[in-house]
Amino acid sequence: MTSHTVLHRTISFTADAKLAPPSDSTMSSGKTGRRRRSSSIIYQEPPETVEQISDQAVNPNLNSQWVNAKGGHGSCTESGQGKAWLTIFYDIIPGMTQEISWTLVNITYMTGSYLMFHWVRGVPFEFNAGAYDHLNMWEQIDNGDQYTPAKKFLLTVPIVLFLLSTHYTHYDLTYFIINFLALMAVVIPKLPFAHRMRFAPFSGAPPDE
Amino acid sequence: MTTASNLTSASDYFSAQTLTLLNSLSEQLHKIPGSGIFLRYVKSSYQNDPIRSAVELFLVLFAIRYLLAREYSTKPGKVRLTEEEIDDLIDEWQPEPLVTKTTPFEDADLEKRAIIVGPTGPKSRLANGRTVTNLASYNFYNLVSNEQLKERAIQTLRTYGVGPCGPPGFYGTQDVHMKIEADIAAFLGTTACIIYAQAFSTASSVIPAFSKRGDIIVADKAVNYSIRKGLQISRSQVRWFEHGDMADLERVLSRMQKEQAAKKQLTRRFIVTEGLFENTGDMVDLPKIIELKLKYKFRLLLDETWSFGVLGRTGRGVTEHQHVDAAEVDMIIGSMAGPLSAAGGFCAGSDEVVEHQRLSAAAYTFSAALPAMSAVTASETLMMLQTQPDMIAALRENVRAMWQQLDPRSDWIVCTSAVENPIMMLVFKQEVIASKRLGLEDQLGLLQEIVDECLAQGVLVTRAKALSAAASGAKSDVYTHRPALKVCMTNGLSRKEVEKAGTTIRHAITKIMTRKR
Repeated sequence: MTSHTVLHRTISFTADAKLAPPSDSTMSSGKTGRRRRSSSIIYQEPPETVEQISDQAVNPNLNSQWVNAKGGHGSCTESGQGKAWLTIFYDIIPGMTQEISWTLVNITYMTGSYLMFHWVRGVPFEFNAGAYDHLNMWEQIDNGDQYTPAKKFLLTVPIVLFLLSTHYTHYDLTYFIINFLALMAVVIPKLPFAHRMRFAPFSGAPPDE
Repeated sequence: MTTASNLTSASDYFSAQTLTLLNSLSEQLHKIPGSGIFLRYVKSSYQNDPIRSAVELFLVLFAIRYLLAREYSTKPGKVRLTEEEIDDLIDEWQPEPLVTKTTPFEDADLEKRAIIVGPTGPKSRLANGRTVTNLASYNFYNLVSNEQLKERAIQTLRTYGVGPCGPPGFYGTQDVHMKIEADIAAFLGTTACIIYAQAFSTASSVIPAFSKRGDIIVADKAVNYSIRKGLQISRSQVRWFEHGDMADLERVLSRMQKEQAAKKQLTRRFIVTEGLFENTGDMVDLPKIIELKLKYKFRLLLDETWSFGVLGRTGRGVTEHQHVDAAEVDMIIGSMAGPLSAAGGFCAGSDEVVEHQRLSAAAYTFSAALPAMSAVTASETLMMLQTQPDMIAALRENVRAMWQQLDPRSDWIVCTSAVENPIMMLVFKQEVIASKRLGLEDQLGLLQEIVDECLAQGVLVTRAKALSAAASGAKSDVYTHRPALKVCMTNGLSRKEVEKAGTTIRHAITKIMTRKR
């Protein structure tokens, strides 16, 4: 019976998960130093220095902790209530058909959640001397662990929303394509292979240190 | 024949089994309430579009697979242990000793260390009963034996008590603190000043208050431990330039400017250096640094711990000595514990600089305020510096007399300090090091023997002692301290006494260096 004590060792093991990280060259979070691919258009965020790790450990990361909270302040209520309010709002506007309304709900939710989770980096408070400035919120949640309950929920929400929207738009092809592209924009950055992956045209050249 | 018939009967048997299994499954499924509606909906959603249905089915399966996946951590080096492994590790754990074993060199140093009994002064009494000339304490103006200061301090102690009972921001500020802040600001010629309770932690607190992660600091390689700690805490990018080399400084500044322009960044940029360096004793070239700072748009943070109260006609520091307006330097850090013989440190600058530190400087907000006694002593000493300028002149005379005895009269050592610096750092000459092939350890050993010999002759001097780079948390050895003898002048000695002490030191050096090994 394994206990949940974790011990940091110099030799790095990965827990024997059924879906362990792929061992191709894009995942270098277990290796020290930065690995550059020949093109450096796509690169991995380099691992943190000792000072950054100790700065991160000083205070709990309030920016990313709320998704795990129970009751009225966790991700469940935020996304559920958010979508409910959005649907009501879009339905109230006169002249809005059901198809457009649901598509707009879908797109607004996807844009908002993309901005919040994947575009903005760092934390909005000043309590840890910028230790998380290089990570977006999705990478900060649960300290970088993959397949946690919060992340599972937050990934299924867009998929469910997409399936609902296809139903309400009566399976029309144009709406389907719009909703599907929005879904891809939100689901792909959440997958484990995209953890700490940066795209140079959007996030600037890799840092040289 | 029998095998073939066996096979067919076996396959019939299995297919019959699977059929019954499927039938029972569908029965169970139909028993779930709402399953009929669900199955009807899925059938109707096909809508003659196989690709779209395939995409939706793939999404549903992907979501299910994601939901069933097991959690794992992306942090390197995390290991999950069983209970037995944890117990084993606990059993075989041995605690590291709190204090490492001392080396034989350190042991010898500790044995021979002189212990002063009673107050320090130009002539101090040691524990073994002898009275020696004390050239090892920071007692530049001989204020430790000043009766007037003692009276004032005792009066303040009776009025204010010992401690301020709180940090300055939380009922710890007293009128004497505000007075000394105003006094120092007026003395230096800056707009405002803020007081810290400990001189050593002043630089380590001021630097991180202004420079954060992502900012750029260009620092001299020979800066002292306190500044190094401040640079490390601030998490800024630090670039070093060669000690006292203005051409190298310009090179580093222009390179940083180019890098920032290429990345289209604009962060805070600082130059950090000292007025009189603690490690080498020499002086900074302030007008040149001001010129470079204005050209490359950096801010200057000057640590005047050992130059405030020492340099300049009235002791205002390196700004007065080199005729620079104190307002040109963005932050002047100083100490009231050294030349002023009080306690604590200060940072002087413009109003915004000082006000920002009242909330953001760690040593100001999270540490107790300066005791009133020390603040009053500092005020008194500052007044004495302004009203008795012959104090400073007498000290400079003594320093000059000591220089005459040691450099260039000694064949072995040379003094790297500035001529106005009462702390004289004596290092071995380069030709001596080369001819005798002295490594760092050898030099330290020889210096310790010189110190012992001087003590035997009645003069107390000391070696310059420094922590290694590893101890200070630095990743690499940016600067290696040159082994040096430290002689701290005081104006409590007459000229004859100074000359006698200088001669003693010179003869001791010659004796040790010429001793046959």
